[in-house]
Amino acid sequence: MIPSPGSPGEGWSRLSPRKLLLDPVKAVGQAVVPVVVALVGISQSDMKYWPLIFPLAVLAPLLLGALPWLTTHYRLSDTQIQVRSGVLNKTTSTAPLDRVRSVDLEASLLHRILGLQKVQVGTGVDDDRITLDALAAADAQALRTTLLRRRAAVEQPVEVADGAEPAAAPPPASPEPAPAVLARIDWSWLRFAPFSLARLVLLAGAVGLLSQVGDNLPIWNEETATSAWEWIAGFALAAVVVVLTVGGLAAWVALSVAGYVVQWWNFLLVREHGSLHLTTGLFTTRSITVEEARVRGVELTEPVLLRIVGGAELSTLATGVENGVTQVLPPCPRGVATSVGEVVLEQPEALTQDLVAHGPKARRRAWFRQLFSAVDVIVVAAAAAWWFDVSWVWVAALAVVLLVVAAAVGEASYRHLGHALAGDHLVAGRGALARIRTVLETDGIIGWVVTQSWWQRRIGLADLTATTAAGAESVLVRDVRLDVAVALADRATPGLLTDFLRSDAEPA
Amino acid sequence: MSDVGGTPVLREPAHQVSPRAVPFWTVSALIGDALLVIGVLVACLLVPGVPGWAWLVVVLVGVLAIAHVVLMPRIRFRVHRWEVTDTAVHTREGWIGRESRIAPISRVQTVDSRQGALMRMFGLASITVTTASAAGPITVDCLDAETARQVVARLTAITAATEDDAT
Repeated sequence: MIPSPGSPGEGWSRLSPRKLLLDPVKAVGQAVVPVVVALVGISQSDMKYWPLIFPLAVLAPLLLGALPWLTTHYRLSDTQIQVRSGVLNKTTSTAPLDRVRSVDLEASLLHRILGLQKVQVGTGVDDDRITLDALAAADAQALRTTLLRRRAAVEQPVEVADGAEPAAAPPPASPEPAPAVLARIDWSWLRFAPFSLARLVLLAGAVGLLSQVGDNLPIWNEETATSAWEWIAGFALAAVVVVLTVGGLAAWVALSVAGYVVQWWNFLLVREHGSLHLTTGLFTTRSITVEEARVRGVELTEPVLLRIVGGAELSTLATGVENGVTQVLPPCPRGVATSVGEVVLEQPEALTQDLVAHGPKARRRAWFRQLFSAVDVIVVAAAAAWWFDVSWVWVAALAVVLLVVAAAVGEASYRHLGHALAGDHLVAGRGALARIRTVLETDGIIGWVVTQSWWQRRIGLADLTATTAAGAESVLVRDVRLDVAVALADRATPGLLTDFLRSDAEPA
Repeated sequence: MSDVGGTPVLREPAHQVSPRAVPFWTVSALIGDALLVIGVLVACLLVPGVPGWAWLVVVLVGVLAIAHVVLMPRIRFRVHRWEVTDTAVHTREGWIGRESRIAPISRVQTVDSRQGALMRMFGLASITVTTASAAGPITVDCLDAETARQVVARLTAITAATEDDAT
């Protein structure tokens, strides 16, 4: 229901009426766990509240779910998009169309069954996003195209100075080159799924939840536990361990592969209307659009396991997007990640060139940083061992293992450290276990911070931070020689530091 | 610029903060540290059967607090410097470590000045210049209130003249 540009006066539209089905179902779904828990709790104590609570538990979500549809309206005029919502406190969000930076569509399984999509419009500097949940899928698509195209139309005459695209040749009459596919899913990438541990966190959470519930289950008491243990001990313990390990690994592989498929089904990354456009998802489909002029850099992450098998992940760093860091590639071969990254950056070699190392003093600090934390743990362990009267052999063994690991991690974190200036991009390498390379357009640098701790001052090192509005809002070059840091900052943003430089050897 | 003879060094910004910053920092450190010392002392007095070394800790805290109150404001006054040119804001601060911050004025988004009750008694004000980056706010602590007003006026005039959205 997009109002035509000719009717800017009234033209308020409602969300899709199918939202009336969506929200109550969602509300019931969200309420079901606490309600069931509450009901179980109550049923164990007293039955007399049942008639009171049951209708409340069912009706309240239904009513609450219907409210947003009744109160939310939106309209699109020639120059802006407005959304009005709220029951008692009416709020109206207005975004000028030339401020629209990103348009994301998302559809959960429920949305998809009902043929709906959630639209989120990101606008410029502040992090507030205009959300329309939900529109009919066709309307949502149309709205997205309209918003992005209008933005292009509004911006084209102004955007000449920006020089993001040499738009001299094609006049605004043909602003739409064919979408260029940057990457699409390749199912051989599935081999990286088990090596990407991000999903393990979710799994751990689920196990934690299960164990909480499990505590209340009648089967889990001391008696059964003891008998189960005796039953297990009847077998060879080694066999049990092997079975558990193999079973755990198999479960992990199955789960991670399934997760990968669900998340990255139909993954497609294209460049169109001067934006990067990513679509993906098996059940919940996401469609994310980021204006390329807003993309200030990329981050290439190689978590330790993924790196062993030659995989990497890629994120863009953008301004005006909700959290600034958008993962644009699934775990995939490093070569794919670097080439896509360099296409996005329009800066060849930024992700592959060698970095300038930070020298032996930085290595020493990298080692010490890890060794100190290992020593902390060892001291705590020693204190615990003394308190609980555990054999010192264990403490010694732990100490040796920790120190070796710390040394290895320290060396790794030094090797990951580095910086470079690739064309008009600042490149910073960091990371202890994962190797992370951040590339930031120097035009996106909006300030510098040079910090020196007392220790760093004694050995002439400094942490150089480039501040930016994109991504995590800062890029850190750690433990670099002070003069190198100043020279790097000076080269990256010519002119900014000139007034504050002194070319002599007198220590500051 | 990096290869024009010798290594480039970031020179210190031109101006010092107000000399009244020293008594201000002394008083505010004194208040904070006194509360801490009294808190530790009271804890030692109230808890029955404190071991002897606890008093050693109290003494240690007291000595550190005195050193902090006496030394910190003076070192800080020597280190804290600031400068606003037509193109950039540059500050240096810290007393154990050092932190230099530089931001181009064309990217400045807001200019705030702040004056707490205690600062007002000393006729001081702080200025905070923010950019679009959460990592980038630049604070000049403890300027003379009149100077602060002038700097804010000047910065506001310059930033109003630039027309970027500063990201």
